[in-house]
Amino acid sequence: MFRNTREGLALALPAAIFSTLLFLVPVGILLSEAFRGSAGGWSVQGYIDFFSEPLNRTVFLRTLKLGLLVAGTAAVIGYAAAFCIVNLGPKTRGKVFGMVVLPLMISPVARTYAWIVILGRTGIVNEAITGLGLSDTPLRLLFTETAVFLGLLQLFLPLMIISLVSAMENIPRDVIPAARVLGASWIEVFFKVILPLTKEGLVIGGTLVFTGALTAYITPAILGGSKVLMLETLLYQRVNVSNDFVSASVIAMILIVMSFSANLLLKRIATARS
Amino acid sequence: MSDAFVKLSGLTLGYGRTVAVPALDLSIREGELIALLGPSGCGKTTTMRAIAGLLDPSDGTIEIDGRDVTRVPANKRGIGLVFQSYALFPHLSAHENVAFGLRLQKLPAEEIRARTEEGLATVGLTGFGKRKPAEMSGGQQQRVALARSLVMRPKVLLLDEPLSNLDARLRLEMRTELQRVQKETGITMVFVTHDQAEALALADRIVLMREGRIEQLGTPADLYARPETAFAAEFMGFENIFRTEGAAVVSDKGRLPLAAVPQSPILAWRPDAVTVGEGPHEGRVAAASFAGAHREYVIDSALGPVKADAAIELPEVPLGGTIRFDLPLATARGLAA
Ligand SMILES: Nc1ncnc2c1ncn2[C@@H]1O[C@H](COP(=O)(O)OP(=O)(O)O)[C@@H](O)[C@H]1O
Ligand SMILES: [Mg+2]
Repeated sequence: MFRNTREGLALALPAAIFSTLLFLVPVGILLSEAFRGSAGGWSVQGYIDFFSEPLNRTVFLRTLKLGLLVAGTAAVIGYAAAFCIVNLGPKTRGKVFGMVVLPLMISPVARTYAWIVILGRTGIVNEAITGLGLSDTPLRLLFTETAVFLGLLQLFLPLMIISLVSAMENIPRDVIPAARVLGASWIEVFFKVILPLTKEGLVIGGTLVFTGALTAYITPAILGGSKVLMLETLLYQRVNVSNDFVSASVIAMILIVMSFSANLLLKRIATARS
Repeated sequence: MSDAFVKLSGLTLGYGRTVAVPALDLSIREGELIALLGPSGCGKTTTMRAIAGLLDPSDGTIEIDGRDVTRVPANKRGIGLVFQSYALFPHLSAHENVAFGLRLQKLPAEEIRARTEEGLATVGLTGFGKRKPAEMSGGQQQRVALARSLVMRPKVLLLDEPLSNLDARLRLEMRTELQRVQKETGITMVFVTHDQAEALALADRIVLMREGRIEQLGTPADLYARPETAFAAEFMGFENIFRTEGAAVVSDKGRLPLAAVPQSPILAWRPDAVTVGEGPHEGRVAAASFAGAHREYVIDSALGPVKADAAIELPEVPLGGTIRFDLPLATARGLAA
């Protein structure tokens, strides 16, 4: 592509300098903090302290659970949506795909506040419930795990759909009808043809959604508040409320490890299948 | 042997609001090799997809072996379909492609292995089982697709332009191969083609389609010698087709007299049915090409271009030269209007 490697390296240099100075260095400083003992030197004491606190364990497990749940649900909805989208005529397909992408152009703050309109004490859902006489008092829908789950799902579902649509577009024409004619039920078509042929898309989408759900701040902050803490909101509290930089960097490290493991695990599962 | 092993009655097919095939009636005999022949877009693939259960008809019924399968889903019909694009599973080896349908039937592993290897052997691909589709040539992929359908022992095997993606030599080879497999297995086969030579060479009967309708149905010999309409005649190589008026043939350009008043409103001649070198008419040679056993002329005449084959013994007439010819009533095929 380039006349020589030096030219290529020269072109990559600005990006390399940028990410080294502005990303890797600060992150490195932060993370080394996570292995600093109280008496100086290296130590994993920060992690032991962190996990010995019940609240922290709850938050860790909740984050893991919601991350998996959001990614899993996004995959199920995503496959259904992507299957419909790739089977549409070219015109409607463009429009529907546009509608899927549109939320990505709206600020996550605005998108999250929309949930307050829906789930709040005087929100649409509660108005309907009290209006229909299903309950006398409005239900507490905000500041629940369900609210955080819905918010995160809505936030990251488009990423899953986009990944799966482009994966499904690459399934050769007629391969699915061929499986049908050979006797495959739709479930068998999914597990024996669609899934193996879209696993790269699923790995990408799954990693994006899971990592996104782990690291989202605004959505759990608004919809969960301090009642439904996630690692990310806990991290913010530790820094801004308790000024506890050690456990903050421990949390940051945990988040990074979770994201990387998710990606590796998904890749492993994907290659094992073929 | 059933005379209506596959029976389509009033079958109406479309996409959304557009009708691709209006009210098709067709009976296919058990064990026959039938060709659906027609120009691109005439509804051949659509008809195949409907028989296979991949497209719901908006009206009409499909019966197979005496059973109405119109509402039976594709995976329960027991029909084989070889796609024009082969549609092999790219993530599976040739062996696994062929075994795909057998595995779904949850047959014993040993039977699956034996039948898969037998299937690969039938199409001459023993030893290729480990290859992925991407590692095989077009002809080999085509044969894997054929084996994948054959091992299912379908009641009917549908083939959508099975040879059109192959080069000329391979196409001839696969033609014989298909014929051999059909004779050996006795499976009822319907194959789609837009190539009349292929249909003539392979089929027991030919269904000539035009805009979703059957234009003519008959044996290759029937269709070749006795097309009934101008469309059928054109498809069967009658390159000179003219209307008649009294004792003359006419075109937009002009007219030429005939020896007598013909009985048909349209007359058609193959190039080899036109007399060259003698006769009452005269024209200029607009194009000439050597074709081995004969010379092909395009004669610019009062009717416009007339295509004629001249015996190679006749002296060659140069481009622009004057040439005599005749459109004999004796060699003409009379067509319905
Ligand atoms: N998926 C589709 N959507 C809309 N129209 C289609 C579709 N497939 C085919 N058609 C139309 O139906 C008619 C018949 O097509 P087809 O059966 O593919 O023809 P053939 O196989 O004889 O070339 C054509 O006019 C074609 O444009
Ligand atoms: Mg076709």
